[in-house]
Amino acid sequence: MATGAFPSPRKMTLIAGAIVAINGFFPAVWILFTSLKTESELMRLPITIWPHAPTLANYSRVFTDQPIFTFMWNSVVVATLSTLLCVTVSALAAYALVRLRLPKPNLILSALLAVAMFPLISLMVPLFTVMRDLNLLNTWWALVFPYAVLSMPVCTLVLMSFFQDIPRDLENAAMIDGCTRTGALWHVVLPLTAPGVFTAGILAFVNAWDEFLLALTLSPRVLSRTLPVGITLYQGEFSFPWPIISAALIVAIVPICIIIAVFQERVVGGLTSGGMKG
Amino acid sequence: MARLSPLEASERRLGYLMLAPAVILLLVTALYPIAALIRESFSHNVLTEPWMAKPWVGLDNFAKAMGDPRFWEASANTLLYVIVTVPGAVAMGLGLALLANQPFRIKWPVRLGLLLPWALPLVFAGLIFRWFFEFQQGLVNNALLFVGLSPVNWLTRETPAFIAICIAIIWKTSSFAALVLLAGLQTIPKSLYEAAEVDGASKWRQFLEITLPMLMPAIFVALIFRTITAIQTFDIPKAMTDGGPGKSNETLAMYIHSTTIDALDFGYGSTLAVLMFVLSAVLTSFYLRHTRRDPSGGRH
Repeated sequence: MATGAFPSPRKMTLIAGAIVAINGFFPAVWILFTSLKTESELMRLPITIWPHAPTLANYSRVFTDQPIFTFMWNSVVVATLSTLLCVTVSALAAYALVRLRLPKPNLILSALLAVAMFPLISLMVPLFTVMRDLNLLNTWWALVFPYAVLSMPVCTLVLMSFFQDIPRDLENAAMIDGCTRTGALWHVVLPLTAPGVFTAGILAFVNAWDEFLLALTLSPRVLSRTLPVGITLYQGEFSFPWPIISAALIVAIVPICIIIAVFQERVVGGLTSGGMKG
Repeated sequence: MARLSPLEASERRLGYLMLAPAVILLLVTALYPIAALIRESFSHNVLTEPWMAKPWVGLDNFAKAMGDPRFWEASANTLLYVIVTVPGAVAMGLGLALLANQPFRIKWPVRLGLLLPWALPLVFAGLIFRWFFEFQQGLVNNALLFVGLSPVNWLTRETPAFIAICIAIIWKTSSFAALVLLAGLQTIPKSLYEAAEVDGASKWRQFLEITLPMLMPAIFVALIFRTITAIQTFDIPKAMTDGGPGKSNETLAMYIHSTTIDALDFGYGSTLAVLMFVLSAVLTSFYLRHTRRDPSGGRH
């Protein structure tokens, strides 16, 4: 078929892929360019695209102006702890709902999801009071528990769909061979659901890593800030030092890029299998 | 009701035991705060007036909200963000999913192109787009100048600021929709397209008659997730204009935040939070009514 006006299918495929990739990467790349420019180059009009005299000065300001490593460490700890809590709790609940003959499992599931889906912003006010009364403001725990609840619905649904895919006979066989129910769960089911647990974990981690409003509210002290809130501290009261903010953003984006680059197949595959059957 | 066999009864006990951590976590971190929120919404509690003993004021706070123009404007803005960004993000997500659903030889650039905006914190996206829409050095205005158009005061005028914020939200949230829709696309059997090809149906007909109907469940999932988050819009307008210019683009979430954390009026802030929950419950129940038709979703 010779339709001169249209490029060949192979080229079309390439163009399609390029659009998706550029759409995703362009903003980060533009920020990277900005971060390498000097203040004076940034003032020049018309604007430049490539940095003419690339400099790392902005990056050294990132580390001296704010304790960015502390922000990052807070983010890592909070996201990790809340992920562990969320996945453990969700996995137990998901397994009970799928396998253990509870009465009206659909109703229990709906109730769990309804409570967990209550808008986080509405919870902000009472959580602030609770955490203040418990003296937990500015601690990791003030964020760990709410973040675990935040990701519980999606984790439970993903894990339920993984448990449903494991043939019952496998567990029954293990139990006939003398395993207890918990033994079968530990030795047979858990290894098989590792990919599901992993996927749920990444979803929970990214949710916690990105959260802004509660982090802003429950950790008012600078040294307790997580990365998304910490980044906003680089702006002055009246000034917006774009090269430094850009450099800070790049520093903060690098860990995200590493995580999604390493786990890309898991995430896409997990959303495919878990998200759809829920 | 049939009596349970000993095995079944012990399984059920184990089931309750495994459910317990989830229930406890929800009780402490969600259910108790919800109850506290509702109680608070009926009381006068301003932290800067500690001599007041948090008196119960009945529906006073709710009456105040009904007569509060800032509440109505924030609600209207929130609904506008829902109306524009929910269909916008799902439509753009559909476009991205269709583009990404190709037999690429090298998969990672496309996969990461979809994953990066998804994994990026909303605030980061807000800051990046604020930079794009900056008046003098922003990329958008410089592009406009380059093609001979005049630059726009994006972030300091009401409607342009709303448009800029919506573009940022749609860019950021379309990637999750794209991932969900891509998953849906991959469940459509190839044989359907082959049969349509044999019948001589055009690509457009195939899209309308096969892709779209088969994709409806996935579109539905994307819509409901996006709606739930759109009602809570906070991060991106906060980072881009702080609700500005003035309060013209403030959302309900931003108003709640400034009432409680800045003005320290916890009573009225709680009332606003309850009203916001009502709004989101109304919108999501509208969706859930549709899913009820699905036989597997019904009660037994």
